[in-house]
Amino acid sequence: MPTLTIDGKPVEVEKGTSILEAAQKLGVYIPRYCYHPKLSVSGNCRMCLVEVEKAPKLLTACSTEAAEGMVVRTVSDKVKAARRDVLEYLLINHPLDCPICDQAGECGLQNYYMDYSLAKSRFKNEDKVRRQKRRALGPHLVLDNERCILCTRCVRFCAEVTKTAELEVMGRGDHSHIDMKEGKALDNGYSLNIADICPVGAWTSRDFRFKQRVWFLKKTPTICLGCATGCLIEAHHNENTIYRTVPLPNPETNTWLCDHGRLAYKAVQGGDRLVKGVIKNGLIDFEPALREVAARIDEARGAGAVAVLGSPWLSIEDNAALARLAKDALKTENYCFDFASEQGIKDGILINKDPSPNANGLRLVKDAHGGISQAELSSRIAAGQIKVVLAEARAAGLIKDALKAAGTRLIVFAANKGEIPAATYATLPYASYFETPGTFVNYQGLRRRTTPPAEAPEGVKPLWAVVNKLAAYSGSSLRLDSAEDALKGIDLK
Amino acid sequence: MISVKKVNNKPLNLLEKIYLWEIARGLSVTIRHFFANLFNPGNILTVPYPEKTIPLPGNARFRTRHRLKVRSDGSPKCVACFMCQTACPAYCIRIEAAEYTENTVEKYPAVFDIDLSRCVMCGMCVEACPEDAIAMDTEELTGGALNRGELLMTKDGLLRNLPGEPSRKGAANRLANEYLKSRGEE
Repeated sequence: MPTLTIDGKPVEVEKGTSILEAAQKLGVYIPRYCYHPKLSVSGNCRMCLVEVEKAPKLLTACSTEAAEGMVVRTVSDKVKAARRDVLEYLLINHPLDCPICDQAGECGLQNYYMDYSLAKSRFKNEDKVRRQKRRALGPHLVLDNERCILCTRCVRFCAEVTKTAELEVMGRGDHSHIDMKEGKALDNGYSLNIADICPVGAWTSRDFRFKQRVWFLKKTPTICLGCATGCLIEAHHNENTIYRTVPLPNPETNTWLCDHGRLAYKAVQGGDRLVKGVIKNGLIDFEPALREVAARIDEARGAGAVAVLGSPWLSIEDNAALARLAKDALKTENYCFDFASEQGIKDGILINKDPSPNANGLRLVKDAHGGISQAELSSRIAAGQIKVVLAEARAAGLIKDALKAAGTRLIVFAANKGEIPAATYATLPYASYFETPGTFVNYQGLRRRTTPPAEAPEGVKPLWAVVNKLAAYSGSSLRLDSAEDALKGIDLK
Repeated sequence: MISVKKVNNKPLNLLEKIYLWEIARGLSVTIRHFFANLFNPGNILTVPYPEKTIPLPGNARFRTRHRLKVRSDGSPKCVACFMCQTACPAYCIRIEAAEYTENTVEKYPAVFDIDLSRCVMCGMCVEACPEDAIAMDTEELTGGALNRGELLMTKDGLLRNLPGEPSRKGAANRLANEYLKSRGEE
């Protein structure tokens, strides 16, 4: 356990820790471009140079191991001069097209220039090395080689994290540039992380391109519902519109975020967002749709022919509300909160074998409210005992064969028109978890609650509120006035 | 310490104290102007604004109605960087950016609205513009309007060069200059 002194403060660190990480432990920030905590150390940007006593030259803090008795200075005149010179060097060929660059506002070059340099360039504009601008690479990214500072974070990401190694530094000296290897496509399913880790505007996201300036964005930490991994994310939004989601690195679950999860916000923002009820194929207002649904349920209810199906895509609150609807309002035994799912990381990075985010949370609902198994429900549907099934859109897909054979009326809750299964009788909209809080339990058993960054479209309510209203139409009150009411009776541990 | 200034007002004399004479004197000024304007309306100094305006003094450098400058190929010099919208203290600018497919400038404003009913004519947008694309030199004052819609200036209304202004290339924008050159427009 070496003990070293950084800026006069002693710190004890594990053997093998770099000076940069030791300084971080002390709260001393050392500027860096190529260093990333989850990638290998490259030491090429030279931005993290620090003065170490008895060393003849400045050393890179990211690649120098902390040693016993080391005396490090991070703000001496020599270091300040070095930072200024490194920045001048990095900016020699930078095109300075910040007005059209999406990175402006969160750009490493802009920030460090303001913090450590503020020097005028001594080079002529015309002498700048020209490289290719605006080149679409892969399905999600745009590469601008002129803005690149060759920190190779993207190269290392593709080589070490996704292990697909699509990118490489080509050429030498002034000719070196990032390029894709022949015969490869940048579609590894994690490619948008490259836009995140790029410290300058060389890699930008095609989805986010020119949509919004980053300084207008507000940030709300929430969770990704793309699969059972349940990564922590940060939704960036402004004026009730979500513009992008980025990973919120945490030691438990994720550093990165897959492209599928990252673009999942589009289901609630795009034009196919469901904001009205649907009867067969016609859009109608929410209230008449709800009345129609209530009428169909009432018809079948007398014979005990209504079934309710929970969904691993819904939060614990909403599933519990559905269970209460079946148990207390419809007084039926035909409800199922049983979903067998195989969980675990599929690709060694993030994507889970289980595509639904809340199978573990559903187990808690089942423990509290009981219910029949999915096979039992399917057999009852197939036997024609059930006339109306109430389910969430994606969960309804799991029993679609039984439904099709029996000709049962299917009533679904959906947030997006694309989710509605074929031959659905009626669809009710509900507020997605970007718009209302919901509790989810991921594959590790970590219970996490979403924080809504946006508000639901007018007239769209959370699912528990829709259920509450539906129960009222059926003549019984569930007294669900908030998401917390729905959680009553469920042991969250 | 509050400084106190003593004012020695002259005491009113008898003629002023009885008021009637002073009232007649004041009315005579009003009546004189009434008849002077009635028989000689050409000398009236008041302008029935906004129906009629008088030209501003040429060297006054007022901040007047905005305009967006135009490149020689007719495209706006604006690259939708949102600097003016960010700087605007009255939140009167709304921009929506879009992407050129061919033009190497990449970015342009698909929507550029200035709500003059909100604008405080501070000129911060002109200060903030890195492309020298917005100017407040039209010498047209923002007049009154009968409805709010008339005060909303859209991109079409804003885009113009002043008469006689050389249709300059996007001076600050290297990419624009190169693009115009490649199309043979200078």
